[in-house]
Amino acid sequence: MRTGLAFVAAATMPSKIKAQLQETPTLQDDVTSGKLPKIEERVPIEPSVADLQTIGTPGGELRMLMSGPKDTRMMVVYGYARLIGYTPALVLAPDILKSIDVEEGRIFTLHLRRGHKWSDGQPFTSEDFRYWFEDVAQNRHLSPSGLPISMLPQGKGPQFEILGETSVRYSWRHPNPLFLPDLAGPSPLFIYRPAHYLKQFHQKYAEPEKLDALVKDANQRNWAALHNRLDTMYRDDNPELPSLEPWILKTKPPSDRFIFERNPYYYRVDQTGQQLPYIDRVILSIADSKIIPAKTGAGESDLQARYLRFDNYTFLKASEQRNDFKVRLWRTGPGSQLALYPNLNVNDEVWRGLMHDLRFRRALSLAIDRHEINQVIYFGLAIEGQNTVLPQSPLFERGYRSAWAQFDLGEANNLLDQIGLTKRASDGTRELPDGRSIEIIVEDSGESTEQSDVLELIRDSWRRVGIKLFAKPSQLTLFRRRVFSGETLMSIDKGIENGLATAAMAPSEFAPTSQQQLQWPKWGQYYETKGMAGEAPDLSSANRLKELYEEWLAATSEDEQGRIWHDMLQIWAKEVFSIGTVAGVLQPVVVNAKLRNVPEEGIYNWDPGAYFGIYKPDGFWFEFSEAPAQSAAIPPPAPR
Amino acid sequence: MLSYLVHRVLIMIPTLIAISIVIFTIINLPPGDYFSTYIAELQSSGEAADLAKIAFLKAQYGFDRALWQQYLFWVGGLLHGDMGYSFAYNLPVNQVVGDRLLLTFIVSFTTILFTYAVAFPVGVYSATHQYSWTDHALTLLGFLGLATPSFLLALVLLYFANVYLGISIGGLMDPQYVDRPWSFGKALSVAAHLWIPVIVIGTAGTASMIRRLRANLLDELQKQYVVTARAKGLHPLKLLFKYPLRMALNPFISDIGSLLPHVISGAAIVSVVMSLPTTGPMLLDALRSQDMYLAGSFLMFMAFLTVIGVFVSDIALAVLDPRIRLQAGRRQ
Repeated sequence: MRTGLAFVAAATMPSKIKAQLQETPTLQDDVTSGKLPKIEERVPIEPSVADLQTIGTPGGELRMLMSGPKDTRMMVVYGYARLIGYTPALVLAPDILKSIDVEEGRIFTLHLRRGHKWSDGQPFTSEDFRYWFEDVAQNRHLSPSGLPISMLPQGKGPQFEILGETSVRYSWRHPNPLFLPDLAGPSPLFIYRPAHYLKQFHQKYAEPEKLDALVKDANQRNWAALHNRLDTMYRDDNPELPSLEPWILKTKPPSDRFIFERNPYYYRVDQTGQQLPYIDRVILSIADSKIIPAKTGAGESDLQARYLRFDNYTFLKASEQRNDFKVRLWRTGPGSQLALYPNLNVNDEVWRGLMHDLRFRRALSLAIDRHEINQVIYFGLAIEGQNTVLPQSPLFERGYRSAWAQFDLGEANNLLDQIGLTKRASDGTRELPDGRSIEIIVEDSGESTEQSDVLELIRDSWRRVGIKLFAKPSQLTLFRRRVFSGETLMSIDKGIENGLATAAMAPSEFAPTSQQQLQWPKWGQYYETKGMAGEAPDLSSANRLKELYEEWLAATSEDEQGRIWHDMLQIWAKEVFSIGTVAGVLQPVVVNAKLRNVPEEGIYNWDPGAYFGIYKPDGFWFEFSEAPAQSAAIPPPAPR
Repeated sequence: MLSYLVHRVLIMIPTLIAISIVIFTIINLPPGDYFSTYIAELQSSGEAADLAKIAFLKAQYGFDRALWQQYLFWVGGLLHGDMGYSFAYNLPVNQVVGDRLLLTFIVSFTTILFTYAVAFPVGVYSATHQYSWTDHALTLLGFLGLATPSFLLALVLLYFANVYLGISIGGLMDPQYVDRPWSFGKALSVAAHLWIPVIVIGTAGTASMIRRLRANLLDELQKQYVVTARAKGLHPLKLLFKYPLRMALNPFISDIGSLLPHVISGAAIVSVVMSLPTTGPMLLDALRSQDMYLAGSFLMFMAFLTVIGVFVSDIALAVLDPRIRLQAGRRQ
């Protein structure tokens, strides 16, 4: 039982070290002129102390390229200031919070850092939590759908208590294993708001005439629309909204260049008492996503991975010298770069029967030459195997990835014969029981040509077991609609999102829990809508996965969660619900040659990871030539 | 003449209504709406959408109502000058478009000037020196310009400008000027970047204009009044500019109608390739993501300009060319 489990920030500085706090040079003028209080009054009394590879010097500008105005949200992803967050070893640790106590997996007590302030200098307290919980999340104008799903285990919300200025408690009646991972997400569950700022737009607190004038000025329909427009903690497009992130937006949209400046009240310092972030300003330039690799190659970005693809690698490498940057290759996190999804909910009954046949799915998997795909398309740098957790995940077992993933045409033919698909047309294609030939149309979202390239190779080997494959690129929305409605026979898309799962992360991707799961959209929809729409799973193994998932939700210890995970992964390996190809395809990461503390090798992943987020970009710094080259050679981080 | 004008103005109203219906229908033809596209896009990159926020916006903007209600709601707003709300930018459409209009105007206007500056002398020269080797050489160049895909030319020029001249790739100015107010440095930076899009967008237009001017002028040069004037000993240049060239200009004036919306919309494909901060890429994006108020209102704005442009060019023609004016008068 996880009774009284406590997460305590590993490196909380003893208060006597406060004497060593050093003022940031670029803020010195503002402090002298009285515009800003001294650093001792800006950082929390117990700041978070970063454990950095090399100690940096503050200053400099970090330029990055983004493709649209919506991408300002990436600064919240990269900034990764979370109540509780993942460390690079994928362990949850308090970040903004000083500590968090968990009792029985259902009572969560959050302790803030004393003296922590918002980016406008106002205190960050339990009132900010109360405001969100009572006045935002449970206000039917602001949140028509009520509390977010991860705060409703078994459909019931928590009891909320304020235990003082710096402590709050959420108590559920049932365990809530989704709560902490959601707080640590790249697009996190924000359970707090800058109450002092947002109250002026809230019906309950603002004077009616003043609020009406504000609504009218902003061209909004009512106060709720205005509040919603300004309350963009994730999207981060309101320069006036106070924040806890390392860099705060200074440019009012619309713009093609967004400037983020250092948060003078940031809660982290380095080992020597310098306040983070080191870098003064981050500049996001907006350019079309297709031109971003070219611009990056021309040296217009200091840190870029978004919108770069593996096939840009050679081009980028060629410009490395000329524009003084380094191209690093990081692993990506999906369970498979591309996976085939036989649609178990396809409308055609004959086909549905075949898709439900375990032997058929296994035969299709055996008839794929993953080694060839790896060599031809990914220069042999990827990991071959099924669509499941990656070797970096603590849950990884070799068998999960290799099950039915060897290239064995004889066995594939054997299995197909066993099913009874022995009749063949004149060109060697096998025939369905009703006489149609086995022609599988594989649809994709049409976003890139990579799918077509992979399918081309699979087509050749499937041909040799008497199965014809046709590729049909579509358009993203249309593609999903066709899969959801059962018109698509088979689809190809990214594999499971979280290949780096740990036992404490929800195994929802492995059970029919969402319509987005391309192998069983209708079963997923059935779960999502609590039986209002979709179909109940009629395959015992799928039902078992769903039961296991529900057991996981009720589990209170990590051991129990781990056991359930392994049960699910075993079923997943045995049943081949999705057919993986290769995983861990490398992501080019372009890093300015002077930028320090960016790991040589890393994981580029959305959740867990937040892309650069878990490596905490607030500790990145520029080493300019005039500075002593004390750390010119950074040892690569220990492999994980 | 006055009743003709009134008639022309009145006919614009049903035209615009018809256009608005067509625009709205076409934008709503693809399955789904902005939010479903947005959710699909986020999910394909592994991100989860904030469903609570989306539910809120859907209710606010009446996505649950019937299509005709949504249409009336949109048109009603347009009549009040409210162009609606862009979901992608999270801003009123006026603000999104406003910023880009000036730069689009600069690019397009310079391009038109460039086109005229090149096409006129070359066109006149080719017509007066028909079938000389210079005519052939210029014609060949013109056709090359017409046939080269402009996006390819754009990429080639971008590469050389970056490698040899150190000009940043794409955009209309060096990054540090983007959010600054206008200054001498900014204007210089814009000028340094402007020539590539101007040449790229201009080449195709230049070639076709040379051909048209040449053909029109050739027609006129054969005519008897030219022979007569020449026989009377009028200076060849004076003759050329005073009579046949003026006659050959008529098609350009009727072009104003399509010129006006072109100035505002910019060349979408080239702008996308070169990542220009103009309205073309914005419109393309809005259409792709079904950001319907942004796309719809902007298209409506362009339709309005086209209608006005045609009206203006008709009037200009009548004013400039007595034959059109008098013939219209005679028919009445």
